[in-house]
Amino acid sequence: MGTISSAFSMMSGALDADQAALNVVANNVANANTTGYTKEVPNWQENDPIEINGISVGTGASETGATSVRDPVLVERLDQQQQLASASGSRLTALNTVQALFTPDSGSSTSTAGDIGSDITKFFDSFSSLEAEPSNNSLREGVLSTAKALAGDISGAAASLNSQRAALDQETTGVVSQVNALTSALAQLNQQIQSTSPNGDAGTLEDQRQQDLSQLSQLIGINATTTDDNGLAVTTTSGQLLVSNESSYQITSGTSGGVTHYYVGTQDATTDLAQGGGSLGGDLTARDTDIPNAMASLNQLAYNISTQVNSLNNAGTDANGATGAAVTGSTTGAMTLDIFSPPPTYASNLASGTTDVSGAALAMSVVMTDANEVSTAGAGQSTGDSSNATAMAALANSTIVDGQSPSNYYSNFVSTLGSTVSNVQTENTAQNASVTQLQTQNDSLSSVNLNDEASSMTLLERSYQAASQVFTMLNTVMASALNLGDQTAVS
Amino acid sequence: MQVDPHYLNNLSAYLDQSQATTQQLTSELSSGVRVTSLGQDPVASGENVLMLNQIQQDDSFTNSSNLATGKMQVADSALGSVVTQLTQAITLATSANNGTLNSSDVKAIANQLSGILGEVTTLANTSYQGEYIFAGGKTSTTPFATSNATTPAITTYSGDDDINYLSLPNGQSIQLNVPGDQIFSGSGTNNVFAALNSLIADYSSGTVNTSQAVSDTEALSSSLNYVSQQRVVIDNSITAVSSASDTVTSEQTQLTAAQTSLMQADIPSLSTQLTLSETQQTALEDVIAQLGSSSNSLFSKL
Repeated sequence: MGTISSAFSMMSGALDADQAALNVVANNVANANTTGYTKEVPNWQENDPIEINGISVGTGASETGATSVRDPVLVERLDQQQQLASASGSRLTALNTVQALFTPDSGSSTSTAGDIGSDITKFFDSFSSLEAEPSNNSLREGVLSTAKALAGDISGAAASLNSQRAALDQETTGVVSQVNALTSALAQLNQQIQSTSPNGDAGTLEDQRQQDLSQLSQLIGINATTTDDNGLAVTTTSGQLLVSNESSYQITSGTSGGVTHYYVGTQDATTDLAQGGGSLGGDLTARDTDIPNAMASLNQLAYNISTQVNSLNNAGTDANGATGAAVTGSTTGAMTLDIFSPPPTYASNLASGTTDVSGAALAMSVVMTDANEVSTAGAGQSTGDSSNATAMAALANSTIVDGQSPSNYYSNFVSTLGSTVSNVQTENTAQNASVTQLQTQNDSLSSVNLNDEASSMTLLERSYQAASQVFTMLNTVMASALNLGDQTAVS
Repeated sequence: MQVDPHYLNNLSAYLDQSQATTQQLTSELSSGVRVTSLGQDPVASGENVLMLNQIQQDDSFTNSSNLATGKMQVADSALGSVVTQLTQAITLATSANNGTLNSSDVKAIANQLSGILGEVTTLANTSYQGEYIFAGGKTSTTPFATSNATTPAITTYSGDDDINYLSLPNGQSIQLNVPGDQIFSGSGTNNVFAALNSLIADYSSGTVNTSQAVSDTEALSSSLNYVSQQRVVIDNSITAVSSASDTVTSEQTQLTAAQTSLMQADIPSLSTQLTLSETQQTALEDVIAQLGSSSNSLFSKL
């Protein structure tokens, strides 16, 4: 049978528990806007009943601390989706900068300067005009000026691509140092969590660890696995270990092929990291795939236009009656009537029969200074002949660049680049939508909802009032018991 | 049911999106261009390159055809004058051959024919912008010169047989010139200068060997026909260039229209979208203002 004292004890326990629960609510309200904070709920526990004379008597309730409301599966989904969205986001940013170099020509009467497509057309058109008047000096000068515009725009675009690549390289270095800082922080948190809460949710420390993981997910593709004693192992998506309990493994860097490569341990993880996700993945994909692809197309275009035009111009007869001949002592394969400088790999390609076009775009320039050296006449023909001008104009529609005409090749190049941008854009939009959705799901579970807190607080307040009221009543009952019916002795 | 307490953040993200759409629409409206980056419409961007290429090629052909036509018209006009001169020469020769003229008249005709020879030589050496148009490819060399060292005198051709062509955008080509030797020094009886020189030799002594002179006159007449035939080649080319130029101009107009509809902004549709976007933005702002008010919190009711 319970006693009044035990009822007192129960009520004081209830008041304590309500206060503790109100404390949890207050902490929630205080952290309503704290990033990474996970809502906590008070843990109520019924005290163990006692058995007196075979009758089980309740002993009230107590509050045993707070539990963070989190769904590890949802959080992991969110992190993984965030990795994908960050990757496509940073790749999109890089691609947008790349595509800005090839803005479509609006086609207004005065064509935009810097449009390679229209440069190509104008260059070959300048030979068409010479068909009718091969000796016209201003038309000959036109060949050189359009050639300079074409070479300038192609080499300018190539230089911009190179500097964008260097900027991305720089950016990845920054991202990797953030990753290293975060993995170190995670290792420390692991140590703290393992020592303080090996068997349960570590609350605020867990929030911090989760927030570090979320940040890491924006930077790099990772997999996180819970280990013994509430520890955490973090690997890259391809399996290289970054954090294992209280140890972290730094990503190191080294230069290879003109760009920074990243190593986990001794293994070159650059390709894996590029495919892994996070903004590092996006940056590396843009640096190692997208920009080199665009550069390779420009190189192919520049190489074929330069060499084909040079070859035809050297084969014809210029206004001075001269035909092209090899420049004595040249190591670049230069000939006397070259319009463009021979691409850097031209001589070695000639020697070995290879078709390496690297560096052709960046190096494209006009070497001809005298417009009279434009060979409008065919080989062995008099200077009034225009058959070579016709042949050079016909290059515009000949399949000289990778089986396509120069304009078709450029058209395909811009379509392909545009498609890549468009695909990544679509991908990024979808991934961001998915991130938002998961974030909403997670927020609805783990964020502090002030209305919920207001209602909890009201409930606890009422509960506290009720316990106080019971306490008062018990007091009255106790007084009655002490006075044994005499109302005045003890009040 | 649990709800996301950060719905206002989501709403402001939607507001950002809506503003970005408005900005894009405004930029399209102000520039008048629909595709401002490759990613917006990759297919149209690629198509645009090819269309502009074709339009510029057409434009370039129109310019080249004007140059070519100018040059051919000079050739045609020169040949027209040659025909007139040769017709006159035949008339003179015919009158000399009828046996009624005295020796001094015949000599006078020989002098007149010499004048015509000089005139025809000048015409055959016509230049256009410093280039001899009947010299084949040797446009910087005077193509015809007459040497009086022999009788009859000999007019020689120093040009070559080169023919230039103008390529049409459709790949066909049009002949732009006829080499001088083909016009004036054809084989057999088609040689203008040989016929003229022979006639001058026939008449310069004042006595006419009628059968020789008649035969030479017939040769001149035949060479006149031949010159006319060669002139037709030039005339045909002028017509062909002009007709190709018309075709190209009309193709250019069509392509420009197609390119415009491909790349240019559709103003009415853009304006409608802009209105919708602005309405959405206003609505979102109102919703945010409404929901963001502190009276919506349960705490305010406690």
